[in-house]
Formats: sequence, structure tokens, C-alpha cells
Amino acid sequence: MKQILNIAYYEMRHILKERVLFLMIFLVPLLYASLFGIVYVSGILQHVPLGIVDLDHSKESRAVVSAFENTPSFKVVPEVNTYAALEKGMKTGLVRAGVVIPEDYSQKLSQHQLTQILTIYDGSNLIYGFNIRKYFQQVLNTFSADHTAAYLSGLGMTKQEITNVMDTVSYSMEIWYNPTLSYATFIYMGLALMIFQQIGLLGIGLTVTREKEQNTWVQYLSAAVSAWKIFIGKALPYFIVNFFNYGLVMWVAVRFVNVKIEGSVALIVLLGLLFDIIVVSAGFVVSVYVPNSLLATRYLMLISVPIFVSSGYSWPSTHIPKIINELVRLMPYPWMAEGFRLVTIKNLSVSYIIDKIMVLIVMAVISLFFALTFSKRRKPPVRSGLAVNGTITYPDKSSFSS
Amino acid sequence: MLKQCRAVLERELFYMWRDKSLRYILLVGPLLGMLLFAGVYSYQRIGNIPTGIVDLDNSQASRQVVSELKNTQNLQVAAYYDSYAQLEESIKRGEVIVGVVIPENFGKNIALHRQTKVAVFIDGMNMAYATNASSAVLTVTRTYGAQVGIQTLIAQGIQANQAQEAYQSIAFPEEAWFNSTLNYAYFTVLGFALNVWQQCLTLAACMTIIGENGLSSWLQIKASGISSPVLFFCKSVVHIAVFMLIVLPLYFLAFVVFKLPLACGWLNLLSFTLIFAIALHSLGTMMSSISRNAVNATRYGMIIALPAFVISGFTWPLEAMPQWFQHAAWFLPQTWFFQGINYLTFKNPGWGFMSHYYLVLGLMAVLFYSAAALRLMAEDFLPKGEMM
Repeated sequence: MKQILNIAYYEMRHILKERVLFLMIFLVPLLYASLFGIVYVSGILQHVPLGIVDLDHSKESRAVVSAFENTPSFKVVPEVNTYAALEKGMKTGLVRAGVVIPEDYSQKLSQHQLTQILTIYDGSNLIYGFNIRKYFQQVLNTFSADHTAAYLSGLGMTKQEITNVMDTVSYSMEIWYNPTLSYATFIYMGLALMIFQQIGLLGIGLTVTREKEQNTWVQYLSAAVSAWKIFIGKALPYFIVNFFNYGLVMWVAVRFVNVKIEGSVALIVLLGLLFDIIVVSAGFVVSVYVPNSLLATRYLMLISVPIFVSSGYSWPSTHIPKIINELVRLMPYPWMAEGFRLVTIKNLSVSYIIDKIMVLIVMAVISLFFALTFSKRRKPPVRSGLAVNGTITYPDKSSFSS
Repeated sequence: MLKQCRAVLERELFYMWRDKSLRYILLVGPLLGMLLFAGVYSYQRIGNIPTGIVDLDNSQASRQVVSELKNTQNLQVAAYYDSYAQLEESIKRGEVIVGVVIPENFGKNIALHRQTKVAVFIDGMNMAYATNASSAVLTVTRTYGAQVGIQTLIAQGIQANQAQEAYQSIAFPEEAWFNSTLNYAYFTVLGFALNVWQQCLTLAACMTIIGENGLSSWLQIKASGISSPVLFFCKSVVHIAVFMLIVLPLYFLAFVVFKLPLACGWLNLLSFTLIFAIALHSLGTMMSSISRNAVNATRYGMIIALPAFVISGFTWPLEAMPQWFQHAAWFLPQTWFFQGINYLTFKNPGWGFMSHYYLVLGLMAVLFYSAAALRLMAEDFLPKGEMM
């Protein structure tokens, strides 16, 4: 036990001494959590810039304009009032949506002929595209209903009769788990867990490579300390700091970004512990087998985007080819992220995420096994490969001649 | 002078090639990213959203509702349940995303012109599903509501044409511009692949200075009489040329093989990519100049490169971010690049609009390179220590 604590103490001193590493594991998670928090803090897309081309300028067409002016979903941009301006505005991003009311709109209405209102939206950004489409549906459903009510009133029907006709079949639409359709609730913790994984790996990923570069790893290998003690001693500070960051990021999410985090605290803690074990032990194994810090940093930095995109967290896994799904399921992140959001957003009990927990346990056991039983066999220093600022000089003569 | 330049160019190219990890990352990373993202988004659209139905009435009218749902774009009736509890459980388990409950006596109430209500539930956990599902449901609501309303009016003695006019006198056609099929692959694949590309570039650019003055050979280079501006200029030329060579197969895959939209033409695309590659290289060079070793240079560069895509507003729009943060986001070259690429590939707004994108990226390059040069001068080109 004392040996483990000694190694942990030495590692902690290293973290405190190496300023960049210290900032990396203590400050960067908070920095990223805050950064993404600011990005997604509004959560809902509102006040979408809208250009209305009213070619009719009648009382009826102004009713259409009012319907769009009176919703917080859109913000009418007055200078975009011709079709040419709308085309230009859509190209330059001045407006993201448009409504075109034809010049014979009121005339056709009065002549009881079919008329139409054209709605246009920007498909180049589908977050805009899909939201605008939904907002159009909402505004036009209300506008349609008002129009129908006015028409029936014109036929001499009473208010009660109109209500009876129009509400013969009504729909109630409830959105569960994320009723405001907040993007912050949807995406923020997925990104935060990715930060957790990334920074966790980058922290411990250099613990052995640093020793190798300082020629001190050999001391560990030759010391009468078993491999598992070296791992636990070195991993302990990172494990504790990571878990602290897990809690910190959740606190930022709930307190400042209004992300919905509900569900069993025990499950949230369990998921966090399992994920932390996997990250720390996998990072340690990488560090043992990668020759230098630069290499470890380069590779570990690049894995976050592909894993996040293919994890099924944003684009549903039902719409991802099977082979990619199977490959990505070999990683812990998709299991953790999905399990976490089932607990925190859907507030589900353990029975719903038991498969995720079991997979994470298996992954934790496997990664722990490799970390605890790493080979202490001493090998001659690797003379190939790049180690800028390492003990192996760059350029390295041996690789130059080869 | 030219001979010196040529020697440095050859040396840098050789060093880049010899750095195995960087070589693999640059050659394989962006391409692998492009193939992976194209695979992930190969379904292209969120269609066939699994929908569960609880038909407690089982009448002709309720079957008509089901039929309307079946005919709705994006919804796919995947299961029928006997009770609300079963539907709730299924939504919890993620087996269906949309649930529809048709109440008992639904048909009877319609026939008697009594009010009745269909309840629709949508799983809001995944927004890609939820926004599409709500749009689809709102469409059904309007069309089916209109059908029933017309029937009710006719039954009450209103003339058929008047009943129809009450509900259907205004049509609301919709047009999605620039991406008419609302194809997710068009929207995301290129952006994500270029994100990986810019991360790989950052890794390489972060080596520009520390890859020289962080080494004991730095004094030999100084002694050889090559001026620092010539050395770093030639190194930068090689880096930027390599960056551009790497992006070519990526663009080939994107626009020729996967046929992603390209509104602006190749010349505009490549010139804009080039100016960004220079700006990003300058940022990496600046990071390299302030770092004490290569690992830290990589960390500094990637701390910016990793979140830059999210901050750029390529996915979640910049306009939805706090006002002050929008201004801050424009200080990153990545924001100009990802915004510019979106405009160029989808809209081609013309030189008048894009010129300030080029101008700002150019100015950024001047600023970052100058900062790196000043930093170098301030340190009097002394080799640095092993570690911070």
C-alpha cells in the first residue's frame, strides 16, 4: 500500500510541477465545458431571420405577415421585401427563410379560387432547415385554423358551431424527455463526455512516455514493485481528478447551461466510475506501449471526432450502416454516452441500461487486466521514431541511414 | 539563395516523410475520416421514423388515421400496441420514436360530430428524430383535420365546394433551397472531414519552429548561415504545399465520388482552401513559437483545433450563440473557413461577399506569422530546455 501511495505521490508532484499537464487536467475540462456551454446555452433556435415578399399588399396578405411577426420563432427582416432581395439574402445568410405571397392572393381568395403561400427555407444548414420547417408548420397550422374559422363565420356559423366543427378531431402533441427540444439537453453532455474521455486519455497517456523520455521508466521496471502496483500508483491521481471533472462538468451543465440531468445518482456515479476506470487503464496501456509523448498526444488528439460522429449520439445508429455500428461498439464511449443519456434524460432505471453497464464492466475488466499485467521486461531503448525534445535526438542518425 | 531554399525545401519534405506518425496522420487521417463520415451518413435522410400505434377504437375512421400516418413522409408504422402502457414502455426502450393513441369511440364521435382527440407522443431525446417527427406529425394534423372538417361541414348541410374552400383555399408549398432533399450527408460529411483535416494540419504546423529550435542541431543550422526568415519561409512553403496535396483526394472523394454539392467551382474552392491552409499554418507556427517543446506545441494547437468546429457555427448556428461569443468566434480562422466553405459549396454568393473572408484569413496569417517572428526574435533564437 505504501508503495502505491509513494508512486501516486510522485505522480501528483509531476502533475503539479508540469504546468501544462496541470492546466490540461484541471483547467481544460472546465474550459471546454464552459465553451460548449456558451455555444449551446440558448438551446432553442429562435428569431430565425425571415424575409417576407408580399406582392399583394392587401389586408389579407398583411394577416399572413402578422402571423409570422407574432411568433418568437421568426424575426422578420424588413429590408428583404422583393424576390430578388430574398434570393440575395438567402445566399448571403441575411435571411434563412422566406415567405412569398403572390400578387393575386386576396383577389383569388375573394373569387373563391385556390391560392398559395410559398415558404422557403435554407437547407445548407439542416439545424436551420428542420427547425424552420417545423416553425412554418406551426405558424401555418394556426393561420389555417384562423382562416377556416373566419370563413365559417362568414357563412353565418356561430362561434360555438365553428369550434364544434373545427375541434371534431384535435391532436395533442407531447414531446417527452426534452419537451422544449433543447439542443443543450440533446448534445451538451455527449460532447462533455467526449471531453472527459479525451482529457482523461491525454493526461494519463503521457505518464509512462514521460518517464521513458527522462530515462526513469527503467527504474520502475527494475524496482521490486509489481506491475499492478505501478499502474495503481500512477493511475490513482488521474482517476480521482477525472472523477472530479465528471462531477464538475455535470455541475456546469445543470447550473449554467440548463441541461436536463435527472435520474438515479447511483447509476450516474456507477457509469462515471466504470468509464473512468476504462479511460485511465486504456490510457496507461497506450502510454506503456507508445514510444514517446508526441506520438501518444498526436494519436489521442485525433480520435474524438470520428468516435463522436459514428457513436450514434447525434445521427441515430439506426441510420448508420451495420459494420460501422459494430466497429464503434468496440469503444466504450457509445455505451457510456447512451447509458448516461437514458438515465439522465429519460430517467430510466437500471433494468433499461443493464446491457450498457455489463458491456462497460467487461471493457473495464479487460482494460484493467492489460494495465495491471503490463510487461516489466526491460528492452533496449527504441532507436527509431521521432522524439522531439526527448532523449533520443532528432534527427536520429540510425533512422537517417536506414 | 535559391540553392539554399531548394536545400531547405528538400530537407523539410524529407523530414516530414521521415516522421512516421505525422506521415500516417497526414496521409491517412483525413481520407479515413471522409470515408467514415460518408459511411455514417450514407442513409442521408432521417426517414422511416419508427411509429407505434394504439388503436383503441379499431373503426374505419381510426384506420383512416393510421393510413394517413402510413402515407406520411418520414414516419413508418412499426408496431401496434394494445395499451398506452405498452406504447410508453416501447418509447422508453427506444423501439419506437413516435406514439399515436386513437381513443375509444373515435369513429362514433366523429360520426356524431362530437369532439375527440388523438394523442401523439414523440421521444425528444434525439433531436434528429424529434424535429423531423414533429414536422411530420404537424403535416398529418393539418391534412387529416381538414378532411374531417370538410366531412363534418358537408354533413351539416354546407355545400361541398364551400366546405372545401373553408379548409383548402390556401396551399402552402415549401421549398428547401441549396439542399432540396434535406440531405444530411450534404450538410455534414464535408464539414466533419475538413475538421479532421484541419486537426491533422494543426499537428504538422505546430512543428514548424519547435521542430528546429527545440533541437540541439539548431545551433548548427544557425552556424550554416541560413537566415531564419529564409529557413522558416521555405519550411512553411513545404508544409502548405503538403496540406493542399492532402486535401485534393479528399475533395475528389467528396465532389466526384460522393457527389456532394459544389456551387462555387474548383478554382474558388481551392483558392479559399489555400488561404485557410496558410492562416492555419500561421496559427500553428505561432503556437510552435511559444512552446517549450513539441508535445506542448501540439497540445496548444489542438486545444484550439478541437473545439473550433463546434464554435465555428457549422452545425449549431453562430446566430444562436450569445452575441459577445459570436464576435469572439470570428477570431478563429476555422470559423471563417467553415462558414466560408458552407457558403461556397452550397450557395456561391460571389466574390463581393467572399472577398472579406479571403481578406480576414490573409490578415490573420500576417498577424500570426508576425507574432511568431517577434517571439523568435525576443528569444534571440536560443535553444530551449527539455521541458516546461
